Amino acid sequence: MDAPGGGSLAILRGIDLQVNAGEALAILGASGSGKSTLLGLLAGLDQPSSGEVSLLERPLQELDEDQRARLRLGRVGFVFQSFQLMPGMTALENVRLPLQLTGQADAQVQAERLLRDVGLRDRMSHLPQQLSGGEQQRVAIARAFAGPPRVLFADEPTGNLDSNTGEQVEQLLFDLRDQFGTTLALVTHEQRLADRCDRVVRLDAGQLDA
Amino acid sequence: MKHSPGLRLLLWALLVAVAALSSVGFFADRVQRALTLEGAAALAADLVVEQGRPVPDEWLQQGRALGLEVSRIVTFPSVLFIADRPQLVQVKAVEPNYPLRGELRVRTATQEVQAPPQPGQAVVAKRLALLLDARTTVPLGELQLQVSGELVDEPDLAANLFQLAPRLMVSWEDAQRSGLLGPASRARHRLLLAGDARQVAAYRDWIKPRLDKAAELVEVDGGRPELSTAIERGRRFLSLAALCASLLAGVAIMLATRRFVDRALDEAAVLRTLGMTSWQVLWHYLQRLLWVTLIGALLGSLLGYLVQLTLVGALGDWLGRDLPPPGWQPLGVSLSHAAILVLGFSLPTLLAIRRVPPLRVLRRDLDPPGLPQSLLSLLAVCVYGLAVYWQVDDARLAGSMSIGMVAVLAVFALVAWGLLRLLRPLRRRGGLAVGLAALSRQPGLTLMQLAGFGLGITLLLLLALVRVDILEAWEANLPADAPNHFLINIQPDEVQAVDALLRQHGVSGSGFYPTTRARLVAINGEPVQPENYDNRRARRLATREYSLGFGAAMQDDNRLLAGRWWAAGQPAFSIEEGLAENLGLAPGDVLHFDVAGEALQAPVTSIRSVAWDSFNVNFFVQGNPVLLQGLPHAVLTSVHLDESQNALLQQVTRQFPAVSVIGIGPLLEKVRGVIARGALAIEAVFLFTLAAAVLVGLAAVQISREQRASEIALLRTLGASHRQVLRLVLSEFLVLGLLSGILAALLANILSVVLARELFELRTGFSPLLWLVGSLLGVGVVGLLGYLATRPLLRAPPMQLLR
Repeated sequence: MDAPGGGSLAILRGIDLQVNAGEALAILGASGSGKSTLLGLLAGLDQPSSGEVSLLERPLQELDEDQRARLRLGRVGFVFQSFQLMPGMTALENVRLPLQLTGQADAQVQAERLLRDVGLRDRMSHLPQQLSGGEQQRVAIARAFAGPPRVLFADEPTGNLDSNTGEQVEQLLFDLRDQFGTTLALVTHEQRLADRCDRVVRLDAGQLDA
Repeated sequence: MKHSPGLRLLLWALLVAVAALSSVGFFADRVQRALTLEGAAALAADLVVEQGRPVPDEWLQQGRALGLEVSRIVTFPSVLFIADRPQLVQVKAVEPNYPLRGELRVRTATQEVQAPPQPGQAVVAKRLALLLDARTTVPLGELQLQVSGELVDEPDLAANLFQLAPRLMVSWEDAQRSGLLGPASRARHRLLLAGDARQVAAYRDWIKPRLDKAAELVEVDGGRPELSTAIERGRRFLSLAALCASLLAGVAIMLATRRFVDRALDEAAVLRTLGMTSWQVLWHYLQRLLWVTLIGALLGSLLGYLVQLTLVGALGDWLGRDLPPPGWQPLGVSLSHAAILVLGFSLPTLLAIRRVPPLRVLRRDLDPPGLPQSLLSLLAVCVYGLAVYWQVDDARLAGSMSIGMVAVLAVFALVAWGLLRLLRPLRRRGGLAVGLAALSRQPGLTLMQLAGFGLGITLLLLLALVRVDILEAWEANLPADAPNHFLINIQPDEVQAVDALLRQHGVSGSGFYPTTRARLVAINGEPVQPENYDNRRARRLATREYSLGFGAAMQDDNRLLAGRWWAAGQPAFSIEEGLAENLGLAPGDVLHFDVAGEALQAPVTSIRSVAWDSFNVNFFVQGNPVLLQGLPHAVLTSVHLDESQNALLQQVTRQFPAVSVIGIGPLLEKVRGVIARGALAIEAVFLFTLAAAVLVGLAAVQISREQRASEIALLRTLGASHRQVLRLVLSEFLVLGLLSGILAALLANILSVVLARELFELRTGFSPLLWLVGSLLGVGVVGLLGYLATRPLLRAPPMQLLR
């Protein structure tokens, strides 16, 4: 990994990890342990300086940026700690966006159904700034399951929420995951959240404790 | 500044604004100084004392004692007999150092010289030379003088442009020896003085109490109206172009500050949590702004000075002379202008930083409560209006520009809001959704971008297209066949014959205008006293002799400013605006003139502007022809004659001895030169506007860069392809560009018509080309800027942008 100073910084080392279809994996670790970097590499959002990463049976290092994007399109969903909603778009438009990108004709209907599923029937035409943190994350989850995806990557999905709201969002995430049979790779520092997954790996200073 | 692109942009914007203003400021200052010299040249001195009696030796000695250059002139009418026919001439006797200012040009048999005639010699006007034919001597009283050359140009002719008799210039000694200067002669004696301003002022103070009523003190004023009108137009053009650049730079400064503040908010919130007071936080950032202002202003002034040198290099012979060096005043003006720009366009936005909530360290979406964008813009407009007023000292221009800008912003806001609403149904369609969503993301920001792009394109259109229209209209004011000769003192019963003779040679005059010489004796029954007027020019106007002109209709190049044109048969005067202003005249005032002992009085019914640089026949005071009844008068016309038509001139003067022909070719060429070089100078200053427009574009694109980066990363994460992202993001810029382009075309079209008419008193029409070019320019330029700004973001891996 290139460091800002121009030298190189090894964030992850000697990682050998496989996530099976339908499995829920939690990557647990302290701040700065490289959790988010690992998640980014798994999802093909970034490239490792050495080593191999495969997603949905495709070796990512053989694909260029555009091919990796195409691989994710409609098959991979994301939930971020800071929600990452489009600020100028309503809740409905945000959920509709990935469906439109894949060219689905009934994007509008699907998006409305997903928002109803996450309990935001009355919030569809609201802009992100008009929603609470919990509501924003629910929109993000609805967007993540539009497709529906085969793999979902979640980066500290409850990190920005109070414990009550966090628990609700967490419940929603696992309910939908069960409903669609989606593979889940989740990064967290919360043991409680990790415990809900099928398997937990620990990352410490860039290395897996397993 | 390395880590603050906002401040870097701000520095560039300031640099452009200050460089534009200071280069024009320095240049205009030098032209102004040259004009003053030109005015002095029109007197042949810095100060002239004129009276009917010889100038006492004491006056000369005092001048020399003060370190002034002094020279005497005496002029008197005389009659020469050429081939036994009497010819009235105006003799002017000068000392060897004449003129003290300006240039005397004499064509001898072999060359052109600048020396006055020596004792025994005489220099004659062209008209007199034609009458003399092959004769080589002229009689002057008891003397016979050798004709040494033909008078091409004498600097102080303007004061007496319409003298009736041709000039005979001789040496001072010969005039004294001629026996023509007896006590009964109608001689006017003039003492010319020149030196530095303080010495001249000292002499003026000394001589004033010594002058009796018959003596007149003549000081430098604006020079010939034809030339000063052309130069004033040029200066307005230049100032306007520079102000456009500075206005655009102001918009760029506002946008850049916004970006600077947006990026500084997180840091400011941390500083607040660390215990800094709100004022300490503000001061922390204000210092940076002040440094940038100082550096930008100084570098801008330096650049402005260098550009001005280039301007002078290219256009220095604007007035046919070397320009005097500039003063320091323009530097002060530009530096203050930089401060005003920052105060109006930057500071109000920066102030928000003081109120950043410390909680922002936990919740990044917490913005400080700030003034709404509309109020910030209004504030900037007000400050800008003041700056314009200060810069061009023209309340009307400053007011109309400020009101215009408020109207522009209001229209932009309204149209932006309306169009975004109108386009809302399109958001269901994938392609435009992202672009339109981006535009409605922050309406205030979109408006700023729209205003930035829109104003940029408007001014580009104005300067690129309208400039050509206006300059063409200006040049058309002075066509190639503009009159270059005046025929004056035509007797009323000769008009038909003169007209027939001209037509016979294929020359058509501009029409025949009765004129008469008159002195203004009273206004509304109150005698006119020069001492009642504060300003020098007014004092001079109050005492001078006027050429009253008579014509039923207003001249084509005049424009009615106040009152009404008279009805047929109504005794009335129409007054030129400058004269009206200096003498404080308004419609309704009654003017009393003395015309060769006869009283003439009538009310002023209208005030009009005159395009003096058109060289058409024009009068400061024009009367309805009904006033002429019973008054002695002559008639004048103006014609365009080629060099090859000298024979016609000769024929006119032979056939109509009373008629005088005055050539104004050199003056015409001078004005033509001013127009041509003025156009060039405007094009040079236009480059600044272009630079400022580019900066505005950059600032407008940069301002939403962070937001756009995260949106692009998100789209990439969701699986959008390179092309999809580009299309989605570009849709934002294309919509923005199209909107700005259409608005800009509308605005430029309105402004061009208003500007041409109000500011330059020229007429231009609507141009459909503007609309096409405006829209294309909007889509093209904004789209390109958007593409250039987006491209690097597309290359970065999404992870990098999400962090």
